[in-house]
Amino acid sequence: MAKVLVIAEIKQGVLKGSTAQLLSKAKAIGAETAVVAIGSNIELLIPNLVNAGSDTQYIADDPGLELFSAGPYSSCVVDAAKQFGADMIWFGFSESGKTVAPRVAAQLSAACATDITDVMFKGDQIEVIRPAIANKVMQRVKVNTKQLVAVVRAGAFDATEGISGTKNVVKLSSPAPDLKAVIRQIISEASGDIDLADANIVISVGRGAKDQAGVDLVKELANDLEAGFGSSRAMVDGGFMPHYKQVGQTGKIVAPTLYIAIGISGAIQHVAGMKGSKVILAVNKDPEAPIFNVSDYGIVGDLFEVVPILRAEIKKIRS
Amino acid sequence: MKILTTLKKVVDVELNIKVKNGAIVEEGLQYVMNAWDENAVEASVQLKENKGAETTLISIGGGDNTDIIRKAYAMGIENGIHIDDPALTKADSFVYARILQKVYEKGKYDLVITGKQAQDTDNGQTGIILAQYLGLPCVSNVISIEVMDEQHIKVSRLGDVGTEIVELELPAVVTVSDSINQPRLPVLRGIMMAKKKTIKVMDLATLGTSKDEVGGAAPKSEIVEFIAPEARKGGQKFEGDVAEITARVVDLLANEAKVF
Ligand SMILES: Cc1cc2nc3c(=O)[nH]c(=O)nc-3n(C[C@H](O)[C@H](O)[C@H](O)COP(=O)(O)OP(=O)(O)OC[C@H]3O[C@@H](n4cnc5c(N)ncnc54)[C@H](O)[C@@H]3O)c2cc1C
Repeated sequence: MAKVLVIAEIKQGVLKGSTAQLLSKAKAIGAETAVVAIGSNIELLIPNLVNAGSDTQYIADDPGLELFSAGPYSSCVVDAAKQFGADMIWFGFSESGKTVAPRVAAQLSAACATDITDVMFKGDQIEVIRPAIANKVMQRVKVNTKQLVAVVRAGAFDATEGISGTKNVVKLSSPAPDLKAVIRQIISEASGDIDLADANIVISVGRGAKDQAGVDLVKELANDLEAGFGSSRAMVDGGFMPHYKQVGQTGKIVAPTLYIAIGISGAIQHVAGMKGSKVILAVNKDPEAPIFNVSDYGIVGDLFEVVPILRAEIKKIRS
Repeated sequence: MKILTTLKKVVDVELNIKVKNGAIVEEGLQYVMNAWDENAVEASVQLKENKGAETTLISIGGGDNTDIIRKAYAMGIENGIHIDDPALTKADSFVYARILQKVYEKGKYDLVITGKQAQDTDNGQTGIILAQYLGLPCVSNVISIEVMDEQHIKVSRLGDVGTEIVELELPAVVTVSDSINQPRLPVLRGIMMAKKKTIKVMDLATLGTSKDEVGGAAPKSEIVEFIAPEARKGGQKFEGDVAEITARVVDLLANEAKVF
């Protein structure tokens, strides 16, 4: 039986949904599962880790692990992988995952595949599917090593309803700090914001909104819908939206039930971050804007006119 | 400070890319400098201009890379090495990292700057694996680099919960995001000067290594085939009276797509 080690995605003390999604997929391909959780004060998450579908929980809990640091985090993953005898090591689609995965692979002499959307066994051999060239093609990749380290694309796997695991906690020893790359500070995102990765509806604003007043107008729609509020790079570059709100190839990959793109042209790097959404609505005054080629519904019009009407109509239909 | 900047030639992602019989159709493709490497070049040239750094680029594979190397020269990079070898056709990120390791060890650099990923593979691994092979500190997805003193730089990176500020001891490796800068357009004078500069072209043997030593004979993974992705089709697009079409779309979202 293959063994899959999943790296728990913990953000500000909360276990993210990707952990259960990855563990569900591991069980679906018949693997034995374990999870490794790294951080400070995370022992209280053990029941959540079990409920997410893990059968062994490797826990690295140390005050020194409070701030993310790639070196020590990769040491913990390597330690857990060795103890468990993992054939595959899966990270969720996070910036920490993307930077730790290649380190772990290099240390284990394992293959590394980022952004995978599927994984399977062909006999003893592992194969993965992943997008490349800004999502314009998919690759089927054959793994020539026994072990694979992978980063799973956001939204690629669904969590199985009613999944659960068994409690079997293994404590990991604390890794040495990285004295050559010292994390000094993390300037955190505003708290209380809806995380784009978790949101059922995401509304993103683009250059068409022009300035802060335009951004605020679109934000009101996001507030009405309790939606995650994202952005194209143009509005981040313009200083109207923070970096962590950027949707796209160099931002967040989102796959909500509904994605609304407002005043966004639909550059491939933006589309690469949202085309997995179930339903896409675009509002753009240019009928030829490429965003309409990937949208289920399109409103051709000036967003300054359309957004207030959208708000009113949505309120009407919801009441 | 000696900087080594990596440069890859990649397919122009803005063009239409077709897949046939498991392979990418070559016809109509064009090749350009990887966009994230342009950011790496710009970051390196800024360190040259502001801190007197010495800049060298290394490009691996790609056949004739004269055009992208000359572009980097025109942007301000001083020296260039191009390593090409028929043995590199199936190279994965680990093979690239081994070759970079060889180049690094010959030049004794203080800082390696790579793009955060290559646009043709979107792997995002090579720079990080290189650092691991060299035992050097590394930060990826970097959006600013500040020189603190001869031995240290301070970088910020976009992380999961915000911007991470990290102090790195040199030598070090950083991979940069497109948010770090706006790459300059080469000016005519730079383009003219770039034409006169030489490019050091080498194969693996000249570099003092072999296909086996860099792992080229046994890549850890290989692409079996390319598949055309499921295309998202444009759906219903409405033009006309804004109040009317907006109401119609909200009705469709609720009753056809059933999203509210
Ligand atoms: C390496 C690289 C990585 C990148 N990564 C990302 C990424 O992660 N995310 C990302 O978003 N971009 C990314 N980009 C940038 C991307 O190529 C585009 O430049 C960017 O997405 C454009 O943002 P935009 O659509 O808001 O602006 P524009 O392309 O300027 O589009 C504005 C749109 O608004 C419309 N409009 C204008 N006024 C109105 C109005 N009053 N009402 C309605 N519509 C209006 C216009 O018709 C136009 O379609 C990347 C680029 C590179 C090179």
